[in-house]
Amino acid sequence: MSDKIKNIIDKQQQQQNDPEVTDIDDVMQLVGFVVGDEEYTVPILTIQEIIKPIEYTRVPQTPDYVLGVFNLRGSVIPLIDLRLKFGLEPAKQNDETRYIVMKSGDEVAGFVIDRLTEAIRLKKSNIDPAPETASGEKSVIDGVGKQEDRILTILKVDTLLDRDF
Amino acid sequence: MDEFQEILQDFLVESFELIEQLDQDLVELENTPEDLELLNRIFRVAHTIKGASSFLNFDVLTRLTHHMEDVLNRARKAEIILTPDIMDVVLTSIDMMKAKLYFIRDNGTDEGSEDIEEIVAKLDAVSDGKPVDEVSVPETPKEEPAAAAEPEPEPVASESEEDVDYSDMSENEIEDEIERLLKMRQEEDKARRAAKIAAGEAVPEAPQIVDEEKDEPKPAPEPAKEEPKAPEPKQESAPAPKPAPTPKPTPAAAPKKEASKAPAKAPAAGGGGGASVEQTIRVDVRRLDHLMNLIGELVLGKNRLIKINDDVEERYEGEEFLEELNQVVSIVSLVTTDLQIAVMKTRMLPIGKVFNKFPRMIRDLSRELGKKIELEISGEDTELDKSIVEEIGDPLVHIIRNSCDHGIEGIEDRVAKGKSETGTIGLKAYNEGNHIVIEITDDGKGLNADTLKDIAISKNVINEKEADNMGDKEAFTLIFRPGFSTAKTVTNVSGRGVGMDVVKTNIEKLNGIIDIDSEIDKYTKIKLKIPLTLAIIQALLVGVQEEYYAIPLASVLETVRISTDEIYTVENRSVMRLRDEVLPLVHLADIFEVDRVFDGSEHTYVVVLGLAESKIGVIVDTLVGQEEIVIKSMGEYLKGMDGIAGATIRGDGGVTLIVDVAALMQMAKDIKARPAIGQGVGGGAAKAKTKPSDYVVMLVDDSKTDRSIMRSALTPLGVTLVEATDGVDALNILKAGEHQFDAMLIDIEMPRMDGYSLAAEIKKYNRYKNLPLIAVTSRTTKADRMRGVEVGMVEYITKPYSPEYLMNVVKRNINLTMEA
Repeated sequence: MSDKIKNIIDKQQQQQNDPEVTDIDDVMQLVGFVVGDEEYTVPILTIQEIIKPIEYTRVPQTPDYVLGVFNLRGSVIPLIDLRLKFGLEPAKQNDETRYIVMKSGDEVAGFVIDRLTEAIRLKKSNIDPAPETASGEKSVIDGVGKQEDRILTILKVDTLLDRDF
Repeated sequence: MDEFQEILQDFLVESFELIEQLDQDLVELENTPEDLELLNRIFRVAHTIKGASSFLNFDVLTRLTHHMEDVLNRARKAEIILTPDIMDVVLTSIDMMKAKLYFIRDNGTDEGSEDIEEIVAKLDAVSDGKPVDEVSVPETPKEEPAAAAEPEPEPVASESEEDVDYSDMSENEIEDEIERLLKMRQEEDKARRAAKIAAGEAVPEAPQIVDEEKDEPKPAPEPAKEEPKAPEPKQESAPAPKPAPTPKPTPAAAPKKEASKAPAKAPAAGGGGGASVEQTIRVDVRRLDHLMNLIGELVLGKNRLIKINDDVEERYEGEEFLEELNQVVSIVSLVTTDLQIAVMKTRMLPIGKVFNKFPRMIRDLSRELGKKIELEISGEDTELDKSIVEEIGDPLVHIIRNSCDHGIEGIEDRVAKGKSETGTIGLKAYNEGNHIVIEITDDGKGLNADTLKDIAISKNVINEKEADNMGDKEAFTLIFRPGFSTAKTVTNVSGRGVGMDVVKTNIEKLNGIIDIDSEIDKYTKIKLKIPLTLAIIQALLVGVQEEYYAIPLASVLETVRISTDEIYTVENRSVMRLRDEVLPLVHLADIFEVDRVFDGSEHTYVVVLGLAESKIGVIVDTLVGQEEIVIKSMGEYLKGMDGIAGATIRGDGGVTLIVDVAALMQMAKDIKARPAIGQGVGGGAAKAKTKPSDYVVMLVDDSKTDRSIMRSALTPLGVTLVEATDGVDALNILKAGEHQFDAMLIDIEMPRMDGYSLAAEIKKYNRYKNLPLIAVTSRTTKADRMRGVEVGMVEYITKPYSPEYLMNVVKRNINLTMEA
């Protein structure tokens, strides 16, 4: 390829990377929820919808955190219990229990959470990468957000949706 | 450029269709060399391809077809007679032509593909009436006056353009260059169009074909439209120094993608190139698939509507509006069914599409093997789903090759056996209910069950004991085992022990059934029974404990109700006798890890499944019924789970899993008879308990007063209490599974079922092995206590008791479970 094209492409990339130009994208919108004793968040754009618990069908030969599949308006979607996935004690579903349907590309799955908290706007500068101990390919933690007096764990939806059995 | 690609696309689709017809016609021609009509048709095909390829500057292909055409033309004018030797040459050249077309499809050009000089020389020799083997390859291939005679706009121009060096040009110069090239292209196109029209008039021998070409509806929804167009990005990036070799009329990359779709589309067009012109319209297969998906949704909706209608009917019996509702529901369901059939039909192709290639194959094989074989085809109009047509080709090829090689004997052998010299292979297709049956018969030497067993033993496919237990039919199925071959030597045609295994795998994939029948020295008959369509299927719904599963009805041979005494254990596996067969059995609960909470029943249902050549009986608790289901994928996350083919949505909106019969049979092999069931992890069996009310204790006593006393004693604990009035009642509550009990307080003397029997019943179930049963009774003798221990009670409280004592015992016991 010739130098001219390269120049143009380089210029375009520079523009994209320029922080001043991307000022609008500086804020990340997250949705917070509680599983066990901790509050987690996921980027709002990865959430397809949030529904109240409905009936599901067990699927054999799966780990215990895969509760089964459920019918979301004609689509069959896997249901994953985040408590079990995170190695916590199972809990009974109650009025606050929700299924968060998350997607990444073509992958869609529902996740059982204990309760929702709130939608959060967070400056990107307030987000740190996942701590050393919890980073790596398999880690479900994407980063840690700091907000006043609390710390928010941002989950990596891609990894959550990866089949690991 | 666009136009060029569209033309190329059309050209490829059309050519492949024509060639398919050509093969069949040629073989037919060999048998009836005088058939002028047939000869004319073949000639026209060759001519059409030649004409089209010359427009598109495929010089090599043009040259090849031109020489083919020469030969055929002379034959048409009765100047030469088509002997088998000449046919060989013609057929080879057609193969070459196919190879060229594939090459064009993949590369967008025919330059640099296989050399054609040898075959061209042979064709020339044949058309000159020389014997084939005297042919030598001439040295100068390029300048051929014959090819040049055809209307070829500018075959060389493109070559020279390529060499222009763009790298030194300035932006302006490049703009100019692009301008120039574009202009040139437009002129080229113009010239080509003109040439096309001219050709239409200049070829009087084949006016029909040209007309057909024009009349054919232009495939508007061509995938080419959706593809990113090659030239567009080029124009946008015009200031860039090198606009690449775009203006060249044979772009390498762009047509590749589109062209690869051509063969997929070609069969959908329905024999367009045949003798009779059908009223057809080409539709992108993806559109049909989408339509099929939508119909699937509709079918689910219909199922749901019917279910709701039933519920409403029950609840509002006798109401007037019911009749109206009934009518609407039945109309909707009727129309949906019709619509489904209609859409299914749009995807249907005659199986002749597949059968067409076999006459040629048989011809080649019989020449190669030195046998005389005749192919009898019937039922080629039988239709089945496109996806199945695509899958069925390979298995049939393997079966037919096998029949030719192993089935039909050599000529001498046949004569010695008093059969006619010519062996016959029959290929027959017909409908049978929701299935299509394809029968392949040969009148060859048949299968010898004993020989098959011996070979299987020598090749370690089975052991001697297995062989002894095998009936003839089972022995025949040995030929489908991998690594099994009856051929003593591996030939070109078969003998590697792979082919029939492929047959089995492919037929299994289609949920089909294989049946073999044979008699020594008389015949071998292989019957393939395949469901008509894959997307919407009939299924048998079965229940295991609280779960339901759908089994594709295509694989269900029958269902039987048997008593548990009829289940025998042979070598650690459950079997039953079904008429004169021994059928291996497996419990669906064991396959799918369902906790067997209650199964005391003396009778059970067995669903007999058949797939490809094997059979198995699956024990289920209930048979729910037959239902039309739509297969839905469970997404990437749960794709390919063992034993599950997918899921479907039922009338009540719930999800039911579809059993993958092939996988189930595989899994069944690893399951021993009645294994000791471990404490399974049932859906929601163990939930964490955070507060006292999460604990559930059942109070079983026939006296209301006693129950009240217990209740008041335990209320301070804050646990949830459930009452039962006697043993039967308690057992029912337990089975209902509404609560997960942590302990039971059981009175001993109760009507219907006493406390001892209740405890004994409960302890029968694995699931409740650890459930603490506490006797609360006024029986105080030692014998009574002993009996309590025997049936599995952990504590023995005698009435009267203090509330604190009862509370402590219960507390201790439910804590105990938590630790365990």
